[in-house]
Amino acid sequence: MDVFVIGQAVHEPAARIGGKRLEEIVFDVAHAALADAAVSRREIDHVTIAGCDELDGRSISSMLLAAPAGAQLRDEMKCTDSGLTGLCLEAMRIESGIFDLGLLVSWSKPSTAPLEDVMRMRCEPFYTRPVGLNMTITDGLFAQAAGEKYGFDEFSADEAVLDAYRRAGANPRGMRHSVPGVEAIATSPYVAAPLRQAHQAPITDGAVAMVCCSERWLKRNPRARPLARVAGIGWRNEEYDLGANRLTSLNAFTNALSDALRMAGLAKPSDLDLIELDSQTGFHELAFRAALNGNAPAAISTSGGAFAQNPYFCTGLINAAEAILQLSDGAGPIQIPGIKKAAAHGSHGFAQQGNVAVVLERV
Amino acid sequence: MAKNVVALIGAAQTKFKTHYADKTYVELAQEAAKQALDDAGMEPGEIDAVVFSMAPTQFMGVNDCDRWSTAHVFGTGKPYMRIHAGGATGGSALAAGYIHVASGVYRSVLVVGADRVAETPDAQHILNLIWDRFYEHDFALNTVTMTAIAAQRYMARYGTTEEQFAKVVVRGRKNAMGNPYAHLKGDITVDDVMNSPRVAYPYKRFDICPRSSGAAAVVLTNLEVAKQKCARPAFVNGASAITHSVFMGDRMGVFSETEFSDHDGEGIAAYEAYRQAGITDPSSQLQVAELYDPFSTFQYPIIEGLGFCGRGRAAAIDQEGGWDMRGGQVAINPSGGTLCTNPIGVTGLVRVVDAANQIMGKAGANQLPNVHNAVATAAGGSTQFFTVTVLGDDHTPKGIAQ
Repeated sequence: MDVFVIGQAVHEPAARIGGKRLEEIVFDVAHAALADAAVSRREIDHVTIAGCDELDGRSISSMLLAAPAGAQLRDEMKCTDSGLTGLCLEAMRIESGIFDLGLLVSWSKPSTAPLEDVMRMRCEPFYTRPVGLNMTITDGLFAQAAGEKYGFDEFSADEAVLDAYRRAGANPRGMRHSVPGVEAIATSPYVAAPLRQAHQAPITDGAVAMVCCSERWLKRNPRARPLARVAGIGWRNEEYDLGANRLTSLNAFTNALSDALRMAGLAKPSDLDLIELDSQTGFHELAFRAALNGNAPAAISTSGGAFAQNPYFCTGLINAAEAILQLSDGAGPIQIPGIKKAAAHGSHGFAQQGNVAVVLERV
Repeated sequence: MAKNVVALIGAAQTKFKTHYADKTYVELAQEAAKQALDDAGMEPGEIDAVVFSMAPTQFMGVNDCDRWSTAHVFGTGKPYMRIHAGGATGGSALAAGYIHVASGVYRSVLVVGADRVAETPDAQHILNLIWDRFYEHDFALNTVTMTAIAAQRYMARYGTTEEQFAKVVVRGRKNAMGNPYAHLKGDITVDDVMNSPRVAYPYKRFDICPRSSGAAAVVLTNLEVAKQKCARPAFVNGASAITHSVFMGDRMGVFSETEFSDHDGEGIAAYEAYRQAGITDPSSQLQVAELYDPFSTFQYPIIEGLGFCGRGRAAAIDQEGGWDMRGGQVAINPSGGTLCTNPIGVTGLVRVVDAANQIMGKAGANQLPNVHNAVATAAGGSTQFFTVTVLGDDHTPKGIAQ
């Protein structure tokens, strides 16, 4: 693909971003991304939004949020799956040749619309809702099934969480949660066995925006500073129903990543220098690593991923922002020298029904 | 301009009615998906990606119900995304599907959705919740009262009367008699509309669309596949979406760039879609328009925004039969339009299906002769999201890449 990211901004995360309405958060991050790209809103020809009504606590939330996202009197399109799905849509819009310069904005403020309540209402009304299925229980089911298939246990998950917090602790853009002791993780309450409370990445509020352009626009604007090229995109959905195969196959993860790698002209994950995984629990971190099947990139989730910040809907897009910082030598104290190719991963839905991957390259 | 030609080779819709007691939401979506694939002569395995069209899920009561639908619409294991733009969702989902193919990323895409607006006892209560919690919830703002305000302003600006709006309803219901999928239909009179119960000035009950349940789907593909599969595709030659501010007061008066009561974004979206499609004289080049008109007052400003006549002229032309299905200047809503059928999450897609069927020669009793180009619209939010899709029987109008 010939799509480039020329500016981006990530809102400072918090367990609860207080003192701002959601439209102010969205405006601030969109405005900052435009400033980073050194372009004005008047120059952009389209806006892509990735948002979720239910998590925003409001029907058709883009009614209010489209304008702060820069979309007033612009061609705007909104997807509701995840922030990283938004980057795939944005990349296709530019790749179509119809658009040249666009703004992608995604946000999530679960502090005002509790995630677990939203997820419970994702249950269909006949079978799963009466059972009381929710995100935690599906993650617990995933942990059981994936642990059995891939051969990891609670202790492994404890270590994975500890490792993730250590990486996250070095990321100046994260929450800088204190690194818990392994004992504290291992003795935290079970929320859905074998999943313990401390295995879960803490949910935060957050927002992220990117300015993307075509190669044609770059040629016309030689002063523009591309941060990275979007080289490949992929997104796949599993079925909704949770059977054993559905929980353990990780097909959507591996196929989305394969799609993105193939589009980027890469053969296998180890051709990447880095992948930023969207691991909502320690078990997910282990499962995704196992699914890479010995072909893992040299660096995995250097940012700390969801354990650094976790605005659930747009965590994958923040992974992309972290990968772009690495590719443009802007990652600060967690910078990996000489990195050339990186991927961002996002997931969404019950037990990661949807998986998204974007391959980014240094320009 | 788009890198790749995009063809619509399969289209389907279910019958629309208030309730479906015998089908679940996902079964409705599946029915439309299956029929669209059959219409395209394709198997599910030939579909590379799925775009799901669904507006607020609060009407039918399952959050992100697109995920529940994944297997039913043959999306398991495939690239799958949901598009949501309020009432404009169907038009925006079509545009997203178009982008999938136009970009060359995917070859064949299924755009599908379903809605069950009447699952909630009061759709207008849900539509009150689209407004700001602090400022707007408590003064009964909903889509009826919101658009009534705009209609009053339009009437004041152009002298349009309630009776003229009533004629839109009469024409729509009559056209719908030839549409087996339409929810409301019948041979009614202007007096019937005028005598129906008052809801919010200038609306009477018959000025307002029904709460519909049903589904729609289309198959989009590239030129190579279209040549193999379809003798007469409907090519997507232009697709545009314009978003405006939610604040109606900012869209009128001397300091505004646009005029709220004119459905201001529709004309901007049309200009861009026409530019892509090489439409320079809409009245002579477009034979059919399928408009998103959930209220009788929507048609005239949209017709004017699409460039079929000057501002404030549409009502007078209507009195002379200018928008009649047969014999009019342009056939407006030969399907009966949104006034007769409004499954909100897919209404914009239904407009596309009906427009495409006219081009593909599949409009049944309402088929019009010599349809070469058609336009479909959708609108949503505080009448702030506008989509315009131009379909044609030729993929080589000016500006389209060969």
